[in-house]
Amino acid sequence: MAASKEKKPKGFNSPAVIWKDMKRDRWLYFLLLPGIVFFVIFKYMPIFGLRIAFMDYNQYAPETSTWVGMKHFVRLFTTNSFVPVLINTIKIAGLKLLIGFPFPVILALMLNEVTNMKFKKAAQTFLYLPHFVSWVIMAGIVMNLLDPTTGAITQVLSKLTGSSVNVLTDTKLFVPMLIISDVYKEVGWGTIIYFAAISGIDPQLYEAAAIDGAGKWKQCLNITLPSIKPTIIIMLIMNTGNILNAGFDQIFMLYTPTVYKVADIIDTYVFRMGIVKADYSFSTAAGMFKSIVAFILVCTVNEIAKRTDNDSIW
Amino acid sequence: MAAKNKTAGTAIKKSTPEKVFTIFNYAFFTLISIIMIIPFWHVLMMSLSDVNETMKGGIFLYVKGFNVDTYSQVFKNPMIWTGFATAIGVTLIGTLGGTLLTAMMAYALSKPRLRFGKVLMVLVLFTMLFYGGTVPSYLLMKNLRLIDNRWALILPGLISAYNVIVMRSFFSSISDSFEESAKLDGANDVTIFFRIIIPLSKASIATIVLFNAVMYWNDYFSTVLYINSTDKWALQAVLRNMLTNTQQAMQQAGVNVRASSNVTAETIKAGSVVVATVPILIIYPFLQKYFVKGVMIGGVKG
Repeated sequence: MAASKEKKPKGFNSPAVIWKDMKRDRWLYFLLLPGIVFFVIFKYMPIFGLRIAFMDYNQYAPETSTWVGMKHFVRLFTTNSFVPVLINTIKIAGLKLLIGFPFPVILALMLNEVTNMKFKKAAQTFLYLPHFVSWVIMAGIVMNLLDPTTGAITQVLSKLTGSSVNVLTDTKLFVPMLIISDVYKEVGWGTIIYFAAISGIDPQLYEAAAIDGAGKWKQCLNITLPSIKPTIIIMLIMNTGNILNAGFDQIFMLYTPTVYKVADIIDTYVFRMGIVKADYSFSTAAGMFKSIVAFILVCTVNEIAKRTDNDSIW
Repeated sequence: MAAKNKTAGTAIKKSTPEKVFTIFNYAFFTLISIIMIIPFWHVLMMSLSDVNETMKGGIFLYVKGFNVDTYSQVFKNPMIWTGFATAIGVTLIGTLGGTLLTAMMAYALSKPRLRFGKVLMVLVLFTMLFYGGTVPSYLLMKNLRLIDNRWALILPGLISAYNVIVMRSFFSSISDSFEESAKLDGANDVTIFFRIIIPLSKASIATIVLFNAVMYWNDYFSTVLYINSTDKWALQAVLRNMLTNTQQAMQQAGVNVRASSNVTAETIKAGSVVVATVPILIIYPFLQKYFVKGVMIGGVKG
């Protein structure tokens, strides 16, 4: 059997052999079938549905929709509403990545140094908690804390600055609030991923380093960090794919027309244009633009990672 | 110092900076834990406090004037109950069905001998990188006549590419010997999957159950997209409505939100947040032990 891996037997890919193999594995295909049906209907049909971005979609009689080529993509970049939205998206997602990315790595390294198991477990429990709570709930808490009159944070801020501020309607403070609340909610989940990677490191490496006289700091720099580098790179690749995903749920729950100027992102824009205003073709074009850019970005970063370091997600 | 180290045997000598770091580290994580829990605690305490105190605002580290009027009013809203019912039904069906379908698919794809398995895996992976988008998904549901039907909250989320990858890499790590000996006894792949593989995979299945359950329970957007009738809304949408349209939402339930009835919009909001958070807090400790395991399996390259 092992030899067949290197040297495929004669006629390995002839239709007769393929058919024989498929018959042998018919029960595996049986297990696979519902999954395939699911992916075709719920994942590939919407992708196929993207064709309406090249049409003037008529929602009352879809079959009468006419092909219009790139019209809606041209509209996207000539209307004065989309480009600011694109800039907001990149700005918010970029800041979230830049500020949110290092924290989990640092926290995981520090958490690894906690030796008391009970303390470690308790700290982990609290750290991950916000990740499992929906943005509806988190937004409820954020709105409570930032309420212009009764909010606990508002009152502290007004004592510190001497003037009352409403963070939720302030175009300068809204984006920092988004980033802080996002880091708050997701930092623990990021930590767990690196922490899992760290706990997979062979303890003998540390023992050997300790015998050689390497202190904790040196062990961290020369063993831990290099060992979790592949995980860091994979996370970075996945996060770049999200660069146009500035966080629909969060922003949708917290924004108001007063802050659209700084907080409107592609997904919220698509929602308002598509679902609320029923401009289906145009909003699909906006969404498709986002999907394509994200796809190209992931592939590019993955390729760079592969070339330079042999770390990639595929 | 030296004597101490000798008796400790293998203990590694700790320098003073390291000791300082250790103390700092413990203090740091204590502080982080407090920061993580305090907003939830504050909202809970506020929801149980007297209206006059809540109107003053500020931080609630303890109950100021204990009463449960907020909760007796929140629960008067029938939408809270229908929201819970929908969310529980959707979460149960979606989680169990989704996990089963994910596991079945992942098991078949974990067999290197499966013809077209690699191509199918690439097609699954592709859906993780490329998404049809909100509007095409909405139009699909419309064509399937699922608008305003609770199945619209369940079906689109059943299987995710990520979960398939996680399960597949777990199944790949199970030794082939189980399968081979069962095959000698004349079992087919379906029997092997249900009788042998599933019992062997409890931990990773629990992880997928957790991921799915959290996803379904927290899902808000599907309701907004697909459901019109308020009595079919899932809990998150009901909660959202109570947070943004507090007065109207409660008025429909026959509750006048004003200080004289001992509730304000603020306490109703705080109470609703607590009501929606508690179910998560209750099951959270039981499922927590599976997080690390699941993440570690997921960390393996797909």
